[in-house]
Amino acid sequence: MTDLRPAAILGGNRIPFARANGPYARASNQDMLTAALDGLVARFGLQGARLGEVAAGAVLKHSRDFNLTREVVLGSRLLPSTPAYDVQQACGTGLETTIHVANKIALGQIENGIAGGVDTASDAPIAVNEDLRRVLLQVNRARSVPQRLALLRKLRPTQIIPETPRNAEPRTGMSMGEHAAITASQWEISREEQDQFAVSSHTNLAAAWSRGFFDDLATPYLGLQKDQNMRPDASMESLARLKPVFGKDGAATMTAGNSTPLSDGAATVLLSTDAWASEHRLPVLAHFIDAETAAVDYVHGGEGLLMAPAYAVPRLLERNRLSLQDFDFYEIHEAFASTVLATLKAWEDPAFSRDRLGLSKPLGPIDRSRLNVTGSSLAAGHPFAATGGRIVATLAKLLAEKGSGRGLISICAAGGQGVVAILEAA
Amino acid sequence: MTLTRLEKTPGLGRLYAKAVTSARGRHGDRLPDITLELPEATIDRDQLASYADVCGFRKSDILPATYPHVLAFPLAVSIMVDPSFPFALPGLVHVANRITQKRALRADERLTLRVSASDLRDHPRGRQFDMLTEATIEGDPVWTESSTYLRRDPHPALPRERGRVNQHEFGRENAHSSPSAIWRVPRNVGRRYAAVSGDVNPIHLNPLAARLFGFRRAIAHGMWLKARCLAALEGRLLDALTAEVEFKSPLLLPSTVGFASHPQDGDWTFAVAEARSGRPHLNGSIQV
Repeated sequence: MTDLRPAAILGGNRIPFARANGPYARASNQDMLTAALDGLVARFGLQGARLGEVAAGAVLKHSRDFNLTREVVLGSRLLPSTPAYDVQQACGTGLETTIHVANKIALGQIENGIAGGVDTASDAPIAVNEDLRRVLLQVNRARSVPQRLALLRKLRPTQIIPETPRNAEPRTGMSMGEHAAITASQWEISREEQDQFAVSSHTNLAAAWSRGFFDDLATPYLGLQKDQNMRPDASMESLARLKPVFGKDGAATMTAGNSTPLSDGAATVLLSTDAWASEHRLPVLAHFIDAETAAVDYVHGGEGLLMAPAYAVPRLLERNRLSLQDFDFYEIHEAFASTVLATLKAWEDPAFSRDRLGLSKPLGPIDRSRLNVTGSSLAAGHPFAATGGRIVATLAKLLAEKGSGRGLISICAAGGQGVVAILEAA
Repeated sequence: MTLTRLEKTPGLGRLYAKAVTSARGRHGDRLPDITLELPEATIDRDQLASYADVCGFRKSDILPATYPHVLAFPLAVSIMVDPSFPFALPGLVHVANRITQKRALRADERLTLRVSASDLRDHPRGRQFDMLTEATIEGDPVWTESSTYLRRDPHPALPRERGRVNQHEFGRENAHSSPSAIWRVPRNVGRRYAAVSGDVNPIHLNPLAARLFGFRRAIAHGMWLKARCLAALEGRLLDALTAEVEFKSPLLLPSTVGFASHPQDGDWTFAVAEARSGRPHLNGSIQV
């Protein structure tokens, strides 16, 4: 067993994110992840290399894609002897795969690896009707022809209606937006605050694209050069015109403009030991310092579905003896504008900090000018499992540009989970 | 040489109709000295995606090496139905195809395609010739193809050649005895490839039409099979390559076939054979 050595983040590659049923409508998860991976391979000269592992995943996945990442590796320019596996932790997938790869590197089990994720809302799996599936399985189990015929009489024309994936929590039947609307209303997050936050996401992302920040982080795909959802001219006026889509009449504040759209995309991140990076003359952008995952009881426990990062961050800070103010950059995934704002408000709230987090005093406010400085999911779009890779590579490059400092990543996920991490400049 | 520049891609449906109505009475022993050019052809990404689906390629900004064949094919057929063309199109057998590309071609590039017929010569079973295609991008010839067709002679003058040295013997053996993959080729692949390539030759579309031309069932397009082989080598091929295949026997639909591939210093040999009988359908190689 060697000493722990924080993994180095060398860079990333993603394809520009597209809105669902846009230019990537006909691309599968395998197509998009292959494009993102091969782009990374080309950028870092990894053709024909055997890497320690590739870890990635998708949230919306066809059953035939059970070994999605391995299939992608086999079709990539990496050596086919590179192992791979799939991870699925809803919107936390991309960051969770980074944690896996970084931990193995830190432990000395592998020298290098690629983390990532992909999702398509366009090429979504459609399953056979549940009633039909049950009958077919019974027919399969039946031993005699009469038994089979009796079962086949159970078939009904309505059973041809397929099951489509729903963006709803199985235990509550509510969509993520409906859950977020409850949290927004509990924390009294106003429509204006949310719209203002969405505008800055678009403005920041557009500024980053136009200064060339993403030139070595993204590769055009199927003719799309930049994130399709981005609206450089987004304004309070344009957002104010949108009707609320989530929440109850009086308190309805969440619109399509301050929520993330359904999107398609893929992202990858290259990690290694410092030694491997220097052997291959690849500059280290940042180090992966630590990570924490939390989960909350949103079913019966009265906590918001997307509030788990509020719990994960204080635990991570305590373990690393840091305060919330010790960061130069904050990357808080914008599932909804209200989610970010509620999380920040919770960290400033004495009662929440005492009663829920068990802290003697709140974590306190952050310098908002350090938050999502190159935009985030509201503007870029949010192909669920691809978001983590996008954020890790973005933050690593921000730290490399600054040349010093520390960044915090916070990503909320379905099922009441949250994944957070700390990166430090190399 | 007569160079004719086309405004747009000729419609293959009409060309095939003409091929049938003008099949009788063709004769002669010279290929027409015609070159057809389609300047600055753009790639329809939707059609490219459909082609990728049918052949098994990833959706990508890089064109499959076989894709320009689809773009140029209507030009080749136009030449083959020209009144001066010596053979009737129905009954021509696709026996070989060689594609060379200097680099990867991108879907946002405009290809200028030139097609001509060349090198009429003897074949052990009749007469053969090549349809030559060159694709240039901004004047640079980046992609060339030679597709060899056989006009079977009902009364061959030469004795049938036997025991010819086969350069792809290795692949052929393996596709039968130890295939690296088994493909179940579905009944509808002829119709699906016809829809994306425009090659609506009836022998690929339904069994009855195929019977009229002497096949027991509909047969797969040779160029679909070649494309399927290159798709199976996804991620392993370099951008600059020569991909050469010989079509050994028609692939009746549906079929279960064995595919074998063998890498050697960056080059490859590969083969497709009927899974049960070992009857070879295709032998091929990739040279870099």
